[in-house]
Amino acid sequence: MSGDHGHSHKPFEGHMHDFEAHIKAVEEDLEYYRAKRFEPRIFYLLRRNVVTFPDLLKARVDLKRKNQFFKPRKPEGKNIEARVRYLEEWLDEYVKGIALVSARAVEAMDMVTEDNRKERGDYDDFFKIKKKEHHGTLAERMRNLEQDLKDYQELLEVFVQALIKRGWSTRAELEQRWKQLHEQRPWAGGVIVAKAWTDPEFKHALLATGREALREMGVHQGKVGKLVVVENTDKVHNVIVCTLCSCYPYDILGDTPWWYKHESYRTNIVQNPRACIKDMFGLDIPAGKEVQVYDSTSDIRYFVLPQRPKGTEGMTNEELAKLVTVDSLIGAGYALGPNQLRESERDGFTAEAPRVRPD
Amino acid sequence: MMESTGSKFKIGDAVMVAVENPTGNPRTPKYIRGKRGVIGSVHGILENIRDHRGIHKPLYTVKFDLSEVSTCHDQDSIWVDVHEEWLSEVRQDS
Repeated sequence: MSGDHGHSHKPFEGHMHDFEAHIKAVEEDLEYYRAKRFEPRIFYLLRRNVVTFPDLLKARVDLKRKNQFFKPRKPEGKNIEARVRYLEEWLDEYVKGIALVSARAVEAMDMVTEDNRKERGDYDDFFKIKKKEHHGTLAERMRNLEQDLKDYQELLEVFVQALIKRGWSTRAELEQRWKQLHEQRPWAGGVIVAKAWTDPEFKHALLATGREALREMGVHQGKVGKLVVVENTDKVHNVIVCTLCSCYPYDILGDTPWWYKHESYRTNIVQNPRACIKDMFGLDIPAGKEVQVYDSTSDIRYFVLPQRPKGTEGMTNEELAKLVTVDSLIGAGYALGPNQLRESERDGFTAEAPRVRPD
Repeated sequence: MMESTGSKFKIGDAVMVAVENPTGNPRTPKYIRGKRGVIGSVHGILENIRDHRGIHKPLYTVKFDLSEVSTCHDQDSIWVDVHEEWLSEVRQDS
């Protein structure tokens, strides 16, 4: 339980040595962002005549290389690691691009998140946009991904051009916003948990008041919904899900792993939580613990306060923060034990912190 | 919070989720509709203007036994956020 149980097989977590896992993550996230975040917004705006199909066609025809908002990308090297990184970074640009046009669309049309949820079929399968399936060898899948990224970004590009042309935004305004979108905040998950482990008063405040405690600590507190932190103990193991979409305290903890947004996790975790946690994350929850699954179906965003691993007495907050993984804040893993951290540092497999985008 | 401002249920109350409620907040998942649970927390009315227009009825976190909402019989539980208009009181006198 302390996490000192050596390396377990975790099929859904990829280190950089596992290129297949990285590519799988890009495939899943790319389809998620296209089908759930971008295209539903286009439909919303098309229905309301904010942009029209002819606007998009004209914008494509008029597009010149020098006016392109999104610049073409190139891999920095021919080896597989460089090419995987190139796809990951391109995906990240695509996601930022969606955030860029969404902000404008939201303001122009007084669009709220709930509109997007309806439009993308969270409550009605009729509206769901089909996601693409991926087949073939790793090399074929990487080629396909490159083509998809190119195609999807082109639509995004055309959409940006149409927004400018229709007067919903200006190039200068979008460029300024684009710059802001590249200012990343550091991931605060580790420091929040380390403080809760070492400062009982803070822990009490965090569990009782959520965001308010973060503000007092000087950590960005975000603004979407009420924050509730649920504590793991010897008796209870908490797990977070959003079965309707993929609600999560993004504004504090950054992007989720792709599987958090995936239908298989969202379905199985509320049907058979123990089996799901075991199959997906290789985690055996002891029989003496109750599993409590929190389904974020409304205005509350949850994260798990993991248990402090054994053998960490005397560690500084800075050292403790390194033990905190993204998975452990969802309940899909425990915080790392000191030995696990040493092993992963020695092997060069330390996980990258998630990206935290500006509000 | 705003727990005292007219929330109908309190922690520990046994409740049942409506099967349908066309005018209620749509964010009540199908797998808990018609199921029995117990109020786990009372959140009152939460404003969230980024997410939706208007203000919804008071919100509760309702605890369901896993066996109530799935075919799995582990002694685990599922906690779901449900708005008041979806919930009705369950009498425990039987």
